[in-house]
Amino acid sequence: MPIKQKNHRASDLAGTAYAHISAAIIVCVFAFMLIVILRYGFGALSLRFLIEEPDPSALGASKGGILTPLIGTVVLTLIGILIAFPFALATAIYLGFYAKKGGFNTLVKGAVDILSGVPTVVIALFALLVFTLPQFGFFSVMIEGVEGTNRAYGKSFLVAGITMAIMILPFVIKSMEEALKAVPASYMDASLALGATKWRTIRKVILGAARDGLTTGVILGMGRIVGDTAIVWLTLGGSIRMTGRKPWYAPENWLSTLKNGGSTLTSYIYYASPAGEGNQFDVAFGASLVLIAIILLLNLAATLIGKAGAHKNG
Amino acid sequence: MDNTSKNIAIRIKNVTCSYGGKPAVRNASLDVPQNSICAFIGPSGCGKTTLLRSVNRLNDLTEGFALSGSIEINGENIYGNDAASHVEALRRNIGMIFQQPNPLPTGILKNMYMPIKAHYTGEKKYFYEKAVEKLKTAGLYDEIEHRLDRTALSLSGGQQQRLCIARALMLEPKIMLFDEPCSALDPIATYKIEDMLLELKKERTMIIVTHNMEQARRVSDYTAFFYQGEIVEAGRTNDVFFNPKTELLDQYIRGRFS
Repeated sequence: MPIKQKNHRASDLAGTAYAHISAAIIVCVFAFMLIVILRYGFGALSLRFLIEEPDPSALGASKGGILTPLIGTVVLTLIGILIAFPFALATAIYLGFYAKKGGFNTLVKGAVDILSGVPTVVIALFALLVFTLPQFGFFSVMIEGVEGTNRAYGKSFLVAGITMAIMILPFVIKSMEEALKAVPASYMDASLALGATKWRTIRKVILGAARDGLTTGVILGMGRIVGDTAIVWLTLGGSIRMTGRKPWYAPENWLSTLKNGGSTLTSYIYYASPAGEGNQFDVAFGASLVLIAIILLLNLAATLIGKAGAHKNG
Repeated sequence: MDNTSKNIAIRIKNVTCSYGGKPAVRNASLDVPQNSICAFIGPSGCGKTTLLRSVNRLNDLTEGFALSGSIEINGENIYGNDAASHVEALRRNIGMIFQQPNPLPTGILKNMYMPIKAHYTGEKKYFYEKAVEKLKTAGLYDEIEHRLDRTALSLSGGQQQRLCIARALMLEPKIMLFDEPCSALDPIATYKIEDMLLELKKERTMIIVTHNMEQARRVSDYTAFFYQGEIVEAGRTNDVFFNPKTELLDQYIRGRFS
């Protein structure tokens, strides 16, 4: 016989096994991580752990809780997203509805792509360079008492928040651009044909229809801020406590708190780990557990909002 | 066309349209008398929709679109020198209905308020009464009276399309453009819309793009036959359908190509 039928049985079997085993490995790695974090971290969890300020003076002992890092994470996330949101939305609107092919549009898209690839530690380094300039001293505090120095400290919640905003901009822009693109062109036609201006159409019709997608973009951006460490370490400082005027939570001291350093859950974990100051595995894992819970909640919210949107438009 | 007995509402003169240099409509001229319906027929991709969307300048936002010639509405060239700055006013006075019903994903009443709120401020009571009146004109009010606050997407396709017509009527347009308004609808919904067209014609001028030749014959007074970007033949609907002058139109009417 000039031709012979091929037998694919063996390669099919191998391919199937390869796919299944790979998937199983992913599950195993995740399960292992979760077990370790739970095993070490769960013991540290308690109400006291959540509502007490850390006490870094007690070396080696797991004294104190994670109140200020937790508040730090929340404050930093809010500052970052509040700054990033209007810029990201406006840029996404520009890319989606005003940009013409070529020229400036290509430049904006390129900038967004490149910015999304810059490691956060590099962004942090850049921010540190800028915000230690005395002209930007009002974002942090001026260094005093050192002869011949006229520099700003360059580390504060405000500085870190602005830096976080820059870091998440490309991701939020892209996700918002997708959300705007997903709005049917027929909505635009409907509004324009009724004589609404383009801007009114975008504001009243497109943004409303894309709201769920836009919210998802915001939440994903928040998730990135919550999880970042490099920017915190460089631009918020290595202190576990709030370094502003005491007490940090008194309203008259809020501005001072924001203009000074502190910590977040990620920097606390670094601090408590063997790489940092202490060798306190249990509190590091306890804080990790809280951190992961926050990120999971944010992702869950994004998924739920996405599903609700799909249901509504489906 | 016959332009002696009636005033001309829409006068299309030597219009050539192109997208990024590629021509879509070539040297089209056509007069649509007041209070009549003109049907655009012809095979797909022959420029009907392009010309229709030029009448309210909805192509303006399409990148690379260019138009030469003139379109006069009530004697005024809408592609004149400073016309681009009045484009919103132009569209306010021209209603447009699309192939896919396009109610916005919000409440039925909110859809009705949308056009009027874009141009006027006023009492909510007045808006409501006007909305009810227009929903009645569209034959929709009795069907949805008790769920005016529900989302417009909960309506059937035919109801959505009638909602879009009612919504367009909120601005009292004297000219209405229909881009294959029934191609996504079933025969009963189609019949209801055609009925409404004949009613609306009493005080409005309309252009309807359609692939359904029965529909063109049923509702229109005038018909323009498009082929490859040109208006090959135009005239009274009865003449066009029963006494075609060109071989091309004759074949098209017989369904030799589409």
